[in-house]
Amino acid sequence: MLLQQIINGLTLGATYALIALGYTMVYGIIQLINFAHGDIYMIGAFIGVAAVALFHQNFFLTLTTAMLACVVLGVTIERVAYRPLRRAPRLNLLITTIGVSIFLETFMTVLKGPQPTGFPPVLKNVTLRVGTLEFSSIQMVILLVSVALMVGLQFIVKYTKIGKAMRAASEDYDTASLMGININRVISFTFAIGSALAAAGGVLVGIYFNSVSPYMGVTAGLKAFVAAVLGGIGNIPGAMLGGLLLGLAEVFGVAAGFSTYKDAIAFTLLIIILLVRPTGLLGRPIQRKV
Amino acid sequence: MKKYKVALVLLSVLLMIALVAGCGGKTGTSGGGENKGGASGDTIKIGFMGALTGNEASYGIETLKGMKMAAEDLNKEGGVLGKKIEIVESDHGSKQTEAAAVVQKMISKDRVVAIVGDPTTGKTKLAAPICQQNKVVLLSAGAVGPGVVELGDYIFRDTLLDAVAAPAVTDYLVNKLGWKKVAIVTSTNNDYSVGLTKIFEGALAKHNAQIVDRESIQDGDQDFSAQVTRIKQAKPDGIIFTGYYTEGGLFMKEVRKQGLDLKMAGGDGLLSPVLWKLGGDAVEGSMVYTGFAADPANAAPQTKEFIKKYQAANDNKLPDMFSAQGYDAVMLLAKAMKEANSTDPSKFKDALAKTRDYPGVSGTLTFLPNREPVKSPVYLLEVKNQQFSIKAALPTEAPKA
Amino acid sequence: MSQWLASVIDPYYQQVLMLVGIYIIAALGLNLITGLCGQLTFGHAAFLSIGAYTAAILTRNFHMPFLASLILGGLMAALFGILLGIPVLKLTGDYLGIATLGFGEIVRVAFTNMKITGGAIGLAAIPRASNLVNVTIFVILAVAAAVLLENSRFGRALKAIREDEIAAGAMGINAMWYKIQAFGIGCFLAGISGGFYAHMLQYLNPNDFGFLKSFEILNFVVLGGLGSIPGTIVGTTVLTLAPEFLRFVQEYRMMIYGLLLVLMMIFRPNGLLGGVNFRRLLRRRKQKATALSS
Repeated sequence: MLLQQIINGLTLGATYALIALGYTMVYGIIQLINFAHGDIYMIGAFIGVAAVALFHQNFFLTLTTAMLACVVLGVTIERVAYRPLRRAPRLNLLITTIGVSIFLETFMTVLKGPQPTGFPPVLKNVTLRVGTLEFSSIQMVILLVSVALMVGLQFIVKYTKIGKAMRAASEDYDTASLMGININRVISFTFAIGSALAAAGGVLVGIYFNSVSPYMGVTAGLKAFVAAVLGGIGNIPGAMLGGLLLGLAEVFGVAAGFSTYKDAIAFTLLIIILLVRPTGLLGRPIQRKV
Repeated sequence: MKKYKVALVLLSVLLMIALVAGCGGKTGTSGGGENKGGASGDTIKIGFMGALTGNEASYGIETLKGMKMAAEDLNKEGGVLGKKIEIVESDHGSKQTEAAAVVQKMISKDRVVAIVGDPTTGKTKLAAPICQQNKVVLLSAGAVGPGVVELGDYIFRDTLLDAVAAPAVTDYLVNKLGWKKVAIVTSTNNDYSVGLTKIFEGALAKHNAQIVDRESIQDGDQDFSAQVTRIKQAKPDGIIFTGYYTEGGLFMKEVRKQGLDLKMAGGDGLLSPVLWKLGGDAVEGSMVYTGFAADPANAAPQTKEFIKKYQAANDNKLPDMFSAQGYDAVMLLAKAMKEANSTDPSKFKDALAKTRDYPGVSGTLTFLPNREPVKSPVYLLEVKNQQFSIKAALPTEAPKA
Repeated sequence: MSQWLASVIDPYYQQVLMLVGIYIIAALGLNLITGLCGQLTFGHAAFLSIGAYTAAILTRNFHMPFLASLILGGLMAALFGILLGIPVLKLTGDYLGIATLGFGEIVRVAFTNMKITGGAIGLAAIPRASNLVNVTIFVILAVAAAVLLENSRFGRALKAIREDEIAAGAMGINAMWYKIQAFGIGCFLAGISGGFYAHMLQYLNPNDFGFLKSFEILNFVVLGGLGSIPGTIVGTTVLTLAPEFLRFVQEYRMMIYGLLLVLMMIFRPNGLLGGVNFRRLLRRRKQKATALSS
């Protein structure tokens, strides 16, 4: 029972973590809460459905198709809607992301209708039994794919040239550009990676819950954002940790009989963390520049 | 600091003035202008209130289809009292503030004599006071929750009430299917579900069935693993699910995923093909009750006729409860106007309240003295090969008021 | 009175105008917090709902006179605003926004689970007490108060905090204390607005007050021009009337709304009336007047 709930929590947490990474990376570089990020995840899920239904692709092809399509979408949105505002007041940029979010949701509603659609079968679900423990093979796939993606991300950030540029840009944006780093490219790359991870999350969640709907990104996006803040916004391992913790907290809250307060669990945790450690669990302290 | 204090003083002084002035105007009266509209021309206007866009759109679109069919049928026979029926459409996009504006607009600008809507309980409650104050009949073709007709003597509904249907269904589940131990699942941010759970709890207690587990979900949730794991511990005979089809389908999927062989029963919130679109094989055997079953083989003659017409107009798709009740709503209003020989809502509302044993396409309907509808029979449907098929037709009793 | 009004203005227009007025009151409160004092809040709808539920329960269950319960609703919202503000206003920038967003969601969940608010079923049969007259009176009051506040010493202190909190502190302004006051007054206005909202719609449901509503009010303020009172009024009016006028485009309505937001931000980053300085126009007149009198 306990182990079972831990697996449930980790699976949910892994999907939060995948979305949270995109929030955290973008915030780390341009200090922007991208409210449209949850909708990228939603569109990734829809592309996954189309990829299976139209092209009868297998699981890995579906995943890569959705990820690539969302890379294009994420980079385009940044180019068209966010870049002109880079030097504008921060609140304007935030409202722009809300505008993009409303647009994407309504666009999908007009295209697909408000009703959720199922996800065509791509993965066989086998119930695996280890002693008294039962878990589905889909849960395993989600955990494995998420871990693989996160390891890949860590590799990019730590050992590649563009990763170094990303770290430099998040350290000090203006100085980095003086050092000859092409900031526009770094930002585009960040949006690309974040969108790809969100799309992967969308496809995995779509398969896991067999449901894809235009408004699925709203709550998931908000929760993932909370996860990013919990771990320390701008901090990549923090986003992973925050996601897993939030997933566990929610599942255990429900298991303890607090399911009516499920959404409040996440936000109460958020406010407590912010008051005690405003920069989250793994974030660096805020430097006050006078 | 001086100006700041001046501002606060000014605010409080003006508040006092407003208090004095405000007491002159009595609360509870509003623009209750005499409504002589709708009948003055050569048409009778009936308003449709519902969503054609947003997340409640599927109910609204179907209700409107039924209403238009009824208007067409009436107008073919020369209309009502020599006047044509005209349906005034307006969409509130599933939003509360817009719903209020839309109702007000239909009453004061379009001069409707009656409004059919809203398919949801919440927005019907929102529209009720506006209609009551303006003396316009509101007939909801979808609201099932508690506390609707109590809002005024112009407020009606033609739905099969859960308070009538759920006890009959509970009797069947406990005594025919042997559900002695039940797990009950409620969606706590869904008013329909919260209300239905209360009714089921009362009915289960009356039949001495035991509720071994209560689980809460929320509309929009996707992850039910924790709840299902707990149900597994409780070992019930069956699950009563009071929420909507989206969560219902996903919930059953999780139930099968965790290897439980339990069946689910619920209200017409589950009545949608989306149930198996999301639930797949997991919802096979799930039971849903409804006041209307589009079953051409066993239907009453007027229902057969309706199904035939609907299919002709909608490339063979079968009608659902909302289109049938929308059709009945317009027909009931027309009948009341004929009997009262008047298109004045304050007159025909009394004729409407006297409706007894009306053979509607969505079942036989009687209004109780408190204007609550009683419909019979209630159909228990079962999902078989991704189709709803009738499992049983259960007689209902009027709830003891 | 109301009979006479109905004969002059169509009740449907009355309804829409009332909604505009109600939102103006709430937006003025937000403008004070975010526009004048520079404190980001994404939880304004929560204070609207606190005021709405408080006022509604007082008139409905305890038969209190409308205006008394309206003010109590406002005070209740202000109280919660201050209680939340004391710990949370330590945070700066986005972190404050995130915390208030969280608080807003917690309030919504709490209302969904409370008995007295009718939970998810909502609260029906609230007496109708809002009318165009009393809403208009309060809008005038709120605008007058906002203008006075902005041009007082208090308003100048808030602006100093917005521009540079550390410098303001060095000049002897107790930033924390001013921020809490601004938050309290802003939430009071939101609560009043909520009370009117409840007594206009006569039905409340917690789901109506999610974070999307908070952002809607924020859009009013930013679209009009952050920190500008005329801008707030214009922004609110335009965005509240937009859905009514956009009825003909049906399901594309919200798509257009989203696009408009993006385009507005790109092409008029300071809002509709941003850069139009009313105060300078007024001051010029004042200078003329003083020049003449001297």
